[in-house]
Amino acid sequence: MIDIIIGFLATIGVMFIFLAAVGFIRMPDTYLRMCVTTKASTLGSGLILLSAAVFFGENGVISRVIAIILFLFLTVPVGAHLIARVSYFIGVQLWKGTIMDELKGKYDKQSHELHSERELKK
Amino acid sequence: MKSSIFLNNVLLMLMWVILTGDSTFANFTFGFLLSFVILRIITVNREDTKYFRLVPRVIAFILFFIYELVLANLQAAYFVIVSHKNLKPGIVGVPLDAKSDIEITFLTNLVSLTPGTLSIDVSNDRKVLYVYSMHIKDRDQFVKNIKNGFEKRILNITR
Amino acid sequence: MTLNFYLTYILLPILIISVILIFIRFLKGPSIADRVIAIDLMVTCSIGIIAFVSIISHQPTFLDITMIIALIGFLSIVAFSYYLEKRNKND
Repeated sequence: MIDIIIGFLATIGVMFIFLAAVGFIRMPDTYLRMCVTTKASTLGSGLILLSAAVFFGENGVISRVIAIILFLFLTVPVGAHLIARVSYFIGVQLWKGTIMDELKGKYDKQSHELHSERELKK
Repeated sequence: MKSSIFLNNVLLMLMWVILTGDSTFANFTFGFLLSFVILRIITVNREDTKYFRLVPRVIAFILFFIYELVLANLQAAYFVIVSHKNLKPGIVGVPLDAKSDIEITFLTNLVSLTPGTLSIDVSNDRKVLYVYSMHIKDRDQFVKNIKNGFEKRILNITR
Repeated sequence: MTLNFYLTYILLPILIISVILIFIRFLKGPSIADRVIAIDLMVTCSIGIIAFVSIISHQPTFLDITMIIALIGFLSIVAFSYYLEKRNKND
């Protein structure tokens, strides 16, 4: 019974990671790739770690796994935000099917400050 | 005042675990819930009851977040497997109601963690959050979804 | 079919195939941001692989390595983005 639970969790986790890899190959521009991959892979590795916790079933392992999952969920969005910001700075082109870009012209090229709309109107 | 009740709760939970002598994860959870119910019964002061509304809200928020995460992952899976030709990506500025550091951090992290949306930056005066989205059907609807879904629930917890 | 067999011969190869797919994008990637994301994804994949190895070999100690690798991955992302932004500023 417990083997079935472990196999189920691990299979779903591996599917998410595989999906992230395929999306990483197929998507047309950097931002779309970032959108698809970062979170799917986080969820996938979280599920795999959870299956390891179910397999061992000791207190030490479970608390360690919960710590790792919390750490992943805290740091991965921060990393994605940093990379997205930097790739906007260094001029990575948006895909040609993009329908709106409200960030255009809001960055100050010299001081790297970001203005909101209210400040622009003044 | 909130934090002192939380400390009492944790202390009672530790008491329960030590007295029963069974340090498994299930026993910790059971001790927490038991001491939560006991504290709820014995607290009569009006101001202190805020904590007891907070814990169910946090649990409901976690469940809502897991639901949203799975739903959005399935949507992303559909776009990856079938086709990306009819995607409509774009960057949208969402006006922020959240003011303090911790509210903005939570909001941006949660927006980033649901696939399909990615928070790029917060403006320097903390009024607008720029979100990249994979598929925008209607701009106003999208902004309303973020404001009513995540931001309202986070503000419910922190305020 | 035992659990060990299933993990070793079905799930682990899928993970390794996905690492290879990510590496193709790492070689092709048009911009430098793509390569940085590829490193981040490879770190996440390696976390999954190490967790599988620790299940197969009954060694819970391997999970500590997972934590350290996640830390190093996050630090490398922060350092890369910091220096990319600096380089852009000086031009």
